[in-house]
Amino acid sequence: MRKLRMMWAKLKGQAGQTRAGEAFDEEIREHIALLEERYAAQGMSAAEAAHAARLQFGNVTALRERQRARRGILAPGEWARDVRFGMRMLAKRPISSAAVVLALALGIGMNAAVFTFVNALLLRPPQGVRSPGTLVDVWLHDAKSTGVQSYLPFSYPAYADFRDHAKSLDGLMAFDGDGQQAIWNHSGTGKVLHGELVSGNFFPLLGVQPVAGRLLTVDDDALANPHQTIVLSDAFWKQNLGGDPGILGHTLLLDGAAFTVVGVAPPDFNGIMVGTTPDFFAPLAAQALFTHDSARLTLRDSYWLIVAGRMRSAGDRKSLQAEMHLLANQDWIASGRKDDPLDALVYPLALVPGPFRGYVGAFTDGLLFVFALVLLIACTNAASLLLARATGRAREMATRAALGAGRARLVRQMLVESLLLAAIAGAAGIAIAWATSRLLLQLKPAELPITLDIPLDWRVVAFAVAVSIATGVAFGLAPALRASAVEAARVLKEEAQTAGRRKSRIRSALVVAQMASCMVLLAGAGLCVRSLWNANAIDAGFDTHHIALATLNPGSLGYSPAQVNDFYTRLLERVRRLPGVTSASYAEFLPLGTSRSETSAGMHLGKDPGASMVDVYRVGPDFYRTMGIPLLRGRDLTAQEAQSEIPDAVVVNEVLARRVWPGENPLGKRLALGGEKTMSEVVGVAGNGKYHTLGEGPVAVVFRGALPAQRTLVVRTPGDSRALLDEVRREVPLVDPLMAATQVQTIEQYMALPLFPARTTGWLLGVSGLLAVVMTTIGLFGVVACVVSQRTHEIGVRIALGARRSDVLMMVVSQGLRLTAIGLAIGLCAAFAAARLLEPLLYGIGANDPATMITVALGLTAISLSASYLPARKAMRVDPSVALRYE
Amino acid sequence: MADAGKSEVLQGTLDLMVLKTLYAIGPLHGFGIARRIEQVSNGVLDLNEGTVYTALLRLEQQGWIASKWGKSENNRRARFYSITRQGAKQLERETANWERVAGVIERVLRLERQG
Repeated sequence: MRKLRMMWAKLKGQAGQTRAGEAFDEEIREHIALLEERYAAQGMSAAEAAHAARLQFGNVTALRERQRARRGILAPGEWARDVRFGMRMLAKRPISSAAVVLALALGIGMNAAVFTFVNALLLRPPQGVRSPGTLVDVWLHDAKSTGVQSYLPFSYPAYADFRDHAKSLDGLMAFDGDGQQAIWNHSGTGKVLHGELVSGNFFPLLGVQPVAGRLLTVDDDALANPHQTIVLSDAFWKQNLGGDPGILGHTLLLDGAAFTVVGVAPPDFNGIMVGTTPDFFAPLAAQALFTHDSARLTLRDSYWLIVAGRMRSAGDRKSLQAEMHLLANQDWIASGRKDDPLDALVYPLALVPGPFRGYVGAFTDGLLFVFALVLLIACTNAASLLLARATGRAREMATRAALGAGRARLVRQMLVESLLLAAIAGAAGIAIAWATSRLLLQLKPAELPITLDIPLDWRVVAFAVAVSIATGVAFGLAPALRASAVEAARVLKEEAQTAGRRKSRIRSALVVAQMASCMVLLAGAGLCVRSLWNANAIDAGFDTHHIALATLNPGSLGYSPAQVNDFYTRLLERVRRLPGVTSASYAEFLPLGTSRSETSAGMHLGKDPGASMVDVYRVGPDFYRTMGIPLLRGRDLTAQEAQSEIPDAVVVNEVLARRVWPGENPLGKRLALGGEKTMSEVVGVAGNGKYHTLGEGPVAVVFRGALPAQRTLVVRTPGDSRALLDEVRREVPLVDPLMAATQVQTIEQYMALPLFPARTTGWLLGVSGLLAVVMTTIGLFGVVACVVSQRTHEIGVRIALGARRSDVLMMVVSQGLRLTAIGLAIGLCAAFAAARLLEPLLYGIGANDPATMITVALGLTAISLSASYLPARKAMRVDPSVALRYE
Repeated sequence: MADAGKSEVLQGTLDLMVLKTLYAIGPLHGFGIARRIEQVSNGVLDLNEGTVYTALLRLEQQGWIASKWGKSENNRRARFYSITRQGAKQLERETANWERVAGVIERVLRLERQG
């Protein structure tokens, strides 16, 4: 207890070292002055009195030094001296210092890179918003359902009820959760813009300040008479309008309607939900001008509004939550509905809304775990190298100890050195994190319409600094304690030959730990890489090459169904005539994307208990040939059938045909689909494929016509489809100058989305596994080499006594292998346990796949064999006469 | 430099003397403590007065004394030290310990030469 107390006093003292020093000086001065006065009073001259006073007080400088040492751990001057000396010691062995720095920098950098994402997604509040601490998200919650699906955004009527009755809020705002695409008629050519529909109180409640003009107000958003006004984002204003302030008061033609630009939002403001970078903000009440669906503002079962509010003061969440429960209940009674009531839950406002944080967190935690293992390996490596160095510096330490340095002083010197290493590595790590986090962002498929801002702000830097200090102490402590525990007399008298055994024990333990962590990482990496191969080899049921895609939405121009069909017919005609195009078609959306649609399929019209759910894909004629889906029986839909309002001709996939009519010819059979009034006739059977995920089982599918206005154009070419992208993009305005295509991409780019989980984990674990192998190899090599150099004398004796060179080789190699074997055994157990976490991400391979585990174990054995072979060869060549003469 | 009639301060006894002085007289500054010890020892002890401050810092870090800045009797800024409750207990222990040791030494020194 006393020791602890002293330590604490010293730590506290360290902080105020300078101030305490000054106060102490004043105390001494005063004391000496009083002594002088006394001697002067006894009749001494001033000089005599001063001399006598100093004599009686003692050596002031020595006292000051002593006080300083006593008061804190380090005097400020000593810090600088230790750092300078540490720098010199590191520079003396540049290669091993660089190796340690590199290993640690990679470890710290990878962790900081992942943390950049944790920060961007989970920690950083929305930017450009006044006091984000008092903002909350409100979500409807269906207690009957589980997972993400149980959380719902608001309908407009429910939002209005909550907004008008919530007393514990300064106000409740809403915005369209999906955002809104609009075609901007820019002097005769169309350009697709992303808009955000926001309630009138959105900007005032958030406290956003415009950079030009004004922002939207409650007036703009009047339900009865919405203004056709918009606020531009700063980026759109600068990039597309040259930042011209003259635009204020002018109109932009969006989806055929004229909107007056009233202002520009500040550059850092991108809405309050992750991933949105709107080009413009428009009033909610004007939504029908974009959606062409005026009922959306009155329907109680259309859930599309994300709702957020500002509390009167922070820390009111409990009473607010209570009020929300109450309002949810009242709203349910008022709606007069018979189904289950929805509750309303309050979360602190964040870029990733409350209900989804857990899922993002689980993913990033997994990544942090993986890279923490890499950092652990880097740390053990650094510790191992420093231990080897400590052994080499035993003489230096002994000399310092003999000259009077205390153990604490020696530990401090060593710790300063390792903290220096960690600091350099931390700085390099931040640079690595910056680069890697941007690379990681590239893994995101273009299909995901999410932009993410990943700044290196103070949180990331604080994280990197904390990790660096922790690693510095973690890998520096053992070597520091070891180095300082010198028995000066013994070391100085004889060489440190006999101490070898005991010293290498820690390093051996470190190698075992490294091998074990390396085994876990590599097993994970192996599984993911094999699963990635499998995933790439999975037959999606359609051709994943030679296809170009583009999405179009003539509906946003307010075209009638006839005009829409006419547009597509003319576009297809032109595209088919492009050189290198063999066929072209369109679909509402493609399998394996983010959209899906389901309906029930039965044998009778009306209520049919035997009906089962099937996937519905709305496609145009020639779709199968273009996508490379085999048409097994029957025929394609005709153009007329595909465009007809009553889609009574359908193509089914083989799964559905077998399920409904086992052993029969399905052609000409009739299906009752999802509450329709007429039966549909099966005219063809298409081959099976994958529709939701690559790993799924058989799914029953119906292909039919009657497409909505938004469609994906599918173009087939025998060659490289990349060459087609620009040509397809160019054809669109030639057919209709106001139309513009979005998501123009090759099918390979499209497939990045379904392959995203496998690819990301494959890449990340692959990289971490590679880092682990390199570091572990270096670590093992270092330990064996060090042991060999310590045992040179012993080996010389053995050879002189008649040991064969091969015996020596065996002895050294087997030592390396023994460590490997222990490490692998521990690692295998851990790997089997850890692999289970990967299970949901793996395709066509079990988490306990023995082949992968054995391959990894054998690979690591081979690597450790070669890592110990090199030093072993050196041992084998030991010349006994040289080794013995050395004594 | 010590005069013939003076003795060195025994190791470890300065802390005890400082504690006892503060216990007996109450809050004092460093100069006052040195004067008091000088006075009590009748000039027999050769006290390097700087070491008083080392003892004060040591005692303060142990929590046995506390200090605060104030005005001295001739109106100058000075740091006043006072004993804490823990310090008083420590003084009791140390005093008992010292008396025991001193008693032993005294008995040993009184041993007559035998035979």
